[in-house]
Amino acid sequence: MIKKSLQKLYLALIFIILYAPIVTLMVLSFNQSKTRSKWGGFTLKWYKELFQNEQIMSAFYTTLIIAFLSAAAATVIGTAAAIAIQGMKNRWRTLYMGVTNIPMMNAEIVMGVSLMLLFIACRMTLGFGTILIAHITFNIPYVILSVAPKLKQTNRHVYEAALDLGASPLNAFFKVVFPDIVPGVLSGFMLAFTMSLDDFVITHFTKGPGIDTLSTKIYTEVRKGIKPEIYALSTIMFVTVLVLLILINYSPEEKEETRKKRVKKPSKVKKVLFRRVIPAVICAVFVFGGFYYAQESNMMNSEKVVVYNWGEYLDPEVLTLFEQETGIDVVYEEFETNEILYPKISSGAIAYDVICPSDYMIQRMIENDLLAEINFDNIPNVKNIGKDYMEQSRQFDPENKYSVPYCWGTVGILYNKTMVDEPITSWSVLWDEKYKDNILMQDSVRDAFGVTLKYLGYSLNSTDLDELTEARDLLIKQKPLVQAYVIDQVRDKMIGNEAAIGVIYSGEAIYTQMENPDLEYVIPEEGSNIWIDSWVIPKNAENKENAEKFINFLCRPEIALMNFEYITYSTPNSEARKLIEDEAIRNSEIAFPDLSKYDNLETFQYLGTEADQTYGELWNQVKSR
Amino acid sequence: MSNKLIDFMNISKAYGMQTVLDDFNLYIRENEFLTLLGPSGCGKTTTLRILGGFETPDAGRVIFDGKDITDLPPNKRQLNTVFQKYALFTHMTIADNIAFGLKIKNKSKQYIHDKIKYALKLVNLDGFENRMPDSLSGGQQQRIAIARAIVNEPKVLLLDEPLGALDLKLRQDMQYELIRLKNELGITFLYVTHDQEEALTMSDTIVVMNQGYIQQIGTPEKIYNEPENAFVADFIGESNIIPATMVEDRLVKILGVNFACVDEGFGQNKPVDVVIRPEDIDLLKPGQGSMDGVVTHLIFKGVHYEMEVMANNYEWLVHSTDMFPVGTEVSIHVDPFDIQIMKKPESEDEEAVNIEE
Repeated sequence: MIKKSLQKLYLALIFIILYAPIVTLMVLSFNQSKTRSKWGGFTLKWYKELFQNEQIMSAFYTTLIIAFLSAAAATVIGTAAAIAIQGMKNRWRTLYMGVTNIPMMNAEIVMGVSLMLLFIACRMTLGFGTILIAHITFNIPYVILSVAPKLKQTNRHVYEAALDLGASPLNAFFKVVFPDIVPGVLSGFMLAFTMSLDDFVITHFTKGPGIDTLSTKIYTEVRKGIKPEIYALSTIMFVTVLVLLILINYSPEEKEETRKKRVKKPSKVKKVLFRRVIPAVICAVFVFGGFYYAQESNMMNSEKVVVYNWGEYLDPEVLTLFEQETGIDVVYEEFETNEILYPKISSGAIAYDVICPSDYMIQRMIENDLLAEINFDNIPNVKNIGKDYMEQSRQFDPENKYSVPYCWGTVGILYNKTMVDEPITSWSVLWDEKYKDNILMQDSVRDAFGVTLKYLGYSLNSTDLDELTEARDLLIKQKPLVQAYVIDQVRDKMIGNEAAIGVIYSGEAIYTQMENPDLEYVIPEEGSNIWIDSWVIPKNAENKENAEKFINFLCRPEIALMNFEYITYSTPNSEARKLIEDEAIRNSEIAFPDLSKYDNLETFQYLGTEADQTYGELWNQVKSR
Repeated sequence: MSNKLIDFMNISKAYGMQTVLDDFNLYIRENEFLTLLGPSGCGKTTTLRILGGFETPDAGRVIFDGKDITDLPPNKRQLNTVFQKYALFTHMTIADNIAFGLKIKNKSKQYIHDKIKYALKLVNLDGFENRMPDSLSGGQQQRIAIARAIVNEPKVLLLDEPLGALDLKLRQDMQYELIRLKNELGITFLYVTHDQEEALTMSDTIVVMNQGYIQQIGTPEKIYNEPENAFVADFIGESNIIPATMVEDRLVKILGVNFACVDEGFGQNKPVDVVIRPEDIDLLKPGQGSMDGVVTHLIFKGVHYEMEVMANNYEWLVHSTDMFPVGTEVSIHVDPFDIQIMKKPESEDEEAVNIEE
């Protein structure tokens, strides 16, 4: 008795452990509040927004189409291969099975990188086609693996019997052998389908601009803080899979006895309906929905411009307006840090037309001859950019030849007035024991060191090893006080009252203040970093004129205003600033600080490979402590 | 008998290094029930598969009804096979199984329907049309496999150890069933088995094979009573195979004792092998037979007693309906026509020689 209840308890425990995360996710998908930390009441709005979010929906359908096509192709190839392998002599069979298993055993990242290298070597454009080929490649072994045992079970004589009765080899295969191995083929297909749905690493390496599967899309989103739409999407996917599984496994099952004596056809109808027809219809709806959707959005147009921008760094409406006005399709992709951007540009694997790096990265790209000179005749609207900012840009683009400023801001401290004792004026607060576990630091080398160097009274472009070592030691000392090293989550965490103090960019500060009036932003008295993100055109751009049209479009005052209102980062567009309706913001000290009041603001400089390495090593020492 | 239907001409077949058939020659007459009998690996199944079209010979031709069918694929041959493990199509009903070949030949619905009825009646399984194969017993499945083959009206039915998977009682029943079928259908049966009892019961002609060579061809009686060499004698039934010397025509010296026999033409004082079936030995009172001995073993076998008699340093196997307890002194007597003389092979190779009929 006790044993029985213990067994049940154990089972229950396992189920709780297994499903608690999924339940949490499902609950959050109905949460009115945008932050994870508090329950704001029941809502279906995330589901509504999900279906209106074109990017997520298109990623979703891309995922399904790739999963379906790659699974189908892999099933055909894999089944044929399994049959061939089955027919081989023992020694060869073992060898071939071993070889086909390698892609499964191989680390995914190796597979991803090698496929990418191969595609580049074959001069294939990374995109839908390359993802599909990659997925077919890694799916084939799974199909072979699930078909081979079924083939082994089938009586070889069954095929011969069919031939003997007059069937042609093809006929014999489809009428006699195939029905026997169908369960293996189907499970191979399902396995391939799910492997393809799941895959991130290989997709990440073989995808090109403008195409995302759910996994790569979610990855991009995660870096910016997961949106509740993703919870909703995950919930829908989980429930769909659950329903499919229930239908397949718990269809009306006839009892063994009736089965023995049954007359075949009538009782089978229900079973086929539940096991095959309904799941097939569900899958078909998704897949053809995907094709329809893809056709509707009509991705492929001869005139296009490939844009590579920071996440959430442009009002999507602007892209629509641009497309409508010019007829040029915008292929839009997002990156998370300058350091991720750089290798993509320097390797030349993907031809981006217009990108938006930060100051020091632009300097580095210019030094490495990666950028094309902009033809300013095509960008008359550059006149709207404030002279100050063009002047500031000379720090990294001395002749103003390569870049057009897009956003700028400062780095400072965001603090919660209700959680600190007095107004903050100095970086020293980041080392104050009082705020242990209430401090959020930027998880990026230059920002973390920049802040520390400024606090110590040095230049944030210091390459002096003693100064850097001092900064490192200070950062290590700070580590126990820090709640988390994050990038974009500072915003959400501060809004949710999860921390008292955070290092943040001024642009984020405006948004957070609107969401949570208790928050205050300050540029510490020791000085700080002023940064500028600018549009530049890589040398290998394929649509340079379109890129210039795009930049020119963004420099229009009303468009710059739209973007300012969307991103809330300070705009260098003086004409746009004049259009801001809210007087408080137009004259905001945070958004548009009077630069003359600060003489200790610096932009980051590119410090060279050696210094880069030194920074990286020291930062690793901090992080690994 | 009637004319040749199938002719294997100089067939050779090897798998890798292993030769299975070497210059194999055999013909099968129309309406004959011919059995290929031999131990596993003797080449009997390969022979059948070459005829079925599932294997291609390395050399030689297969002539069927006057035409060379060596390179014809299985689905174009006018013969059907019953496979060892039935090989029924498990996802089809019995009716669909039987109709398989007919549907491929685009026969009319009515024709197919009638044929199914007829075939099921023939194999005594009326009313099984809508059952699934896995709901049938082994014997029933085997009969369906036969029904599926014969509805196509083949000229030859190939049977590859069809009773191998059945239990003893069922096997015996199916033997009668097959004989009846053969008589009703009036077609040629080529039967492959390693079971000498099946071969002896059903066949018109038995071909004993070993290591790819034919050892003897003949009627069951001839094979049993007059084995041509020690292999055949040993393989078919139980026997006493004793080295002996042919003294002269009709006189053979076995274990130092002269026996009268009926064989002639072996020459004088030539070493030979003699075969004496255990049931052909009569046990008499000591001194009354050719050789005295003592019973050393006794087992009751149902139909008869099996005894071993030690005489002249040889352990004689004896079957008799009379019982002689262990220790009884007896004398051995063999009638002259029960002694089968075989030429002694001069080497190992000759033992497996290909004997032309």
